[in-house]
Amino acid sequence: MSNSATEMLVSATITFLRGYPPFDRMEAEALRFLVEHVKLAHYPKGARILASEMGVARTLHIVQRGKVRAKPGGGAGNAEHSAVTLGPGQCFSIGALMAQQPSSTAYVAREDVFCYELPADEFFSLTQRSTVFNLFCTQYIAGLLDQSQQQLQLQFAQRATEQKTMNSPLSAIVKREPVAVAPETSIRQVVELMASRHLGSMVVVDSAQQPIGIFTLSDVLKRIVLPGVSLEQTIASVMSPAPLTLPLAANAHDAALTMAMHAVRHVLAVDEGGRLKGVVSERDLFKLQGGGLRQIRHSIDSAGSIEVLRHAREDVRQLSLTMLTEGVGGQEITQFISTLNDTVTRRIIELNLDRHDLYGIDWAWLSFGSEGRDEQTFTTDQDNGIVYLLTDLMDREQTQLRFLEFARDVNDDLDKCGFPLCKGNIMASNPDLCLTLEEWEERFARWVRTPEPQALLNATIFFDFRPLYGRFNLAHRLRLSLFRQTQGNPLFLRMLAQNALGVAPPLGRIRDFVTGADPEHPGTIDVKKYGVRLFTDAARVFALARQVEATNTVSRLKRAGALMNIARDDLAASIEGFNFLQLLRLRHQHFEQEHGRAGDNLIRPDELNEIERRILKEAFRQARKLQARLKLDYQL
Amino acid sequence: MAWYSRLFTAQEGRKPGLTTSQQQSIDAWHELPAADLRRSHYRTRYVVVDVETTVIGGDADRLVSLGALAVVDGLIDFKDVFQACLANESADGEAASDGRPQIETARIAAVDAMLAFLRFAGKAPLISFHASFAAQQVDRAMGECLGVALRQPWIDLAWVMSDLFRDVGDDSQGGLDGWLAHFDIESIKRHDVVSDAYATAKLLQITIARAARKGFDSPSSLLDLEKARRHLHQSG
Repeated sequence: MSNSATEMLVSATITFLRGYPPFDRMEAEALRFLVEHVKLAHYPKGARILASEMGVARTLHIVQRGKVRAKPGGGAGNAEHSAVTLGPGQCFSIGALMAQQPSSTAYVAREDVFCYELPADEFFSLTQRSTVFNLFCTQYIAGLLDQSQQQLQLQFAQRATEQKTMNSPLSAIVKREPVAVAPETSIRQVVELMASRHLGSMVVVDSAQQPIGIFTLSDVLKRIVLPGVSLEQTIASVMSPAPLTLPLAANAHDAALTMAMHAVRHVLAVDEGGRLKGVVSERDLFKLQGGGLRQIRHSIDSAGSIEVLRHAREDVRQLSLTMLTEGVGGQEITQFISTLNDTVTRRIIELNLDRHDLYGIDWAWLSFGSEGRDEQTFTTDQDNGIVYLLTDLMDREQTQLRFLEFARDVNDDLDKCGFPLCKGNIMASNPDLCLTLEEWEERFARWVRTPEPQALLNATIFFDFRPLYGRFNLAHRLRLSLFRQTQGNPLFLRMLAQNALGVAPPLGRIRDFVTGADPEHPGTIDVKKYGVRLFTDAARVFALARQVEATNTVSRLKRAGALMNIARDDLAASIEGFNFLQLLRLRHQHFEQEHGRAGDNLIRPDELNEIERRILKEAFRQARKLQARLKLDYQL
Repeated sequence: MAWYSRLFTAQEGRKPGLTTSQQQSIDAWHELPAADLRRSHYRTRYVVVDVETTVIGGDADRLVSLGALAVVDGLIDFKDVFQACLANESADGEAASDGRPQIETARIAAVDAMLAFLRFAGKAPLISFHASFAAQQVDRAMGECLGVALRQPWIDLAWVMSDLFRDVGDDSQGGLDGWLAHFDIESIKRHDVVSDAYATAKLLQITIARAARKGFDSPSSLLDLEKARRHLHQSG
């Protein structure tokens, strides 16, 4: 071995690397360390330098000479499109190395390629020696996150354009098979059919399936009920004849124009033979225009009936979907859904207050669980309760009965508007959850003092309470009293922390993810149970311990994290991880619902692309980090 | 040939004037097992050699400096490099500062250098561009300084490459410079022994990749290839 000879090669290599980022900014000592530990390898044209089948990435490659083609593996389609060419000075694959897993991107030499290769151990050592390099790698990973979001947007963009533009043909707008009847059908049959199928209109067709008339809900009143027409008459006698038709190829604009010109609410789409193919309503067109947030809010606030609110709730879904397609983050969407759901709920409460006299009583409507945390997704059931103040003049039994009646109506209306009744009966109409402030305080105190399993479970639902309507200061008082209790009972927080550690992130020792937790759904991960909940549980303990009033997980992490001296970057990483899991849930639920299934939270890691898998893994690591902090704080 | 006859004496007897530790180093080298030339290129340690000589011409040429670089399992490691200066051309005639005749100082330096090279090379197959010239220079110095004859084979990249890369046109006629230009390999400092050995080592990497693809996957297969090529060339 000769020092001067090595020195010559090393300094020539340093000079070479200095021409490329991040080596141009790298600390001299770190760069020397890098160069002293690389080996130079050669790959002939066509050779696979790094690919998934080679197993866990063991070296960092830096191209010295030649071109390398990076082709994302797995995943769907346009791989050709997304292939990238790397040239001298560029490194790969930092992502696979950092994650210590195989690279699913295949790196292939496009010509004779020389690469400097740094073994994984030295790579990690380098990230510690060089802040510049460390930053480079971190930003690279962050870049992957951006890419992933871009991919998400791309994935939805096509659908979005299909859905949103007024240029879409009617064939794209009409979704369900039209329901039509023959002219000789009795009015009774038609009305029964409309009621059972929730139809706003009925088309009457002749034997050739060509529409000859239309009958709508509003006609029932004007043409049947008021004139007292017999239900046994034929529909032909009351229908509006010669309905407006448009060919399937006409677009939404045409339909809107036709409706405006003729002051009608429905247009029939027909094929070339004039046969009925679908009904386009004014509502369908409104959805296309993607009724903005303000319109929706306005329509909710001014809604005079549950029916209108039911539609508004559907608009909320539609709009949040649009947001998903536009690449809005998980946090914003869940908060958006929560906010509008709040508005719907408030309006339902207001409508019911007209029928229930609660005047003179101080009370507040509370939401619990995910609603309490402002973290609702597409599928969400009701979690609510009532708190009220009992004065000496009031009879407790009587007052509670009034509230329960009121609550039952609200719960039912919420159910009609798409917030299914809670299976666990966590609803204001449950006498156990319709309590005076003192009773709530007493109940919370009992859970805190005797943290048995059920009490801890309750804490995870009810301690995330948030006032939605009424006297908000009641909720504030309840929160202060909760803090007093938790501060006075350190054992409770310790038990709650232990409870939060009950589920570990599904990271495997050998495989990336543990997917066998649910024997009925092998290959899946419940990202709510094994992902999101880990964050919310940890954030709850942090918040209660630091008397942070927020219930939202991100707010809790931000505010409690600051008090706990968690570094800003670490905090941001945790929040990013949490939001990514939420985004996965939203996307998954959306797909499930589109395919007519109840939205669950079961994600198949195998079906994610490489970047998403990597971020998912990182998100779980962040959960593990939060859990580690709990272990440290409570010596568990 | 005078140097050739010395080989036999070197093998049997011992070179006088060597210290015990120097002799032990030589003995240790003799003890090394021969490299298995049938193993894959990618499980072989090749030593790429480049020499610099005085430019008198003919047999009178003497080794001035020696550069070598190992290609282990197909990889170049900057720490696995060798360089030695055997003579200082500029100082001939004058006495060295310690009073000993300059020629004696040079001899001691040369002995140390060749011993170091022996340790570096071990019994690995040796690679050079125009190997017969390098082999001649190295063998003579080995014999003169240490009384040792290297037993491992030399592989001549010039012959091997001209066979493996028959598709390459004019560049193949341009010697080392031609090949470097063809494969776009930069020299750090052309005609420096280490730099040239490094460039040659990269050519070796390209060569073994091509050879492996054509089924010549071991050092011995490269030797066969070279032999066949020489034969063809000489008879044709």
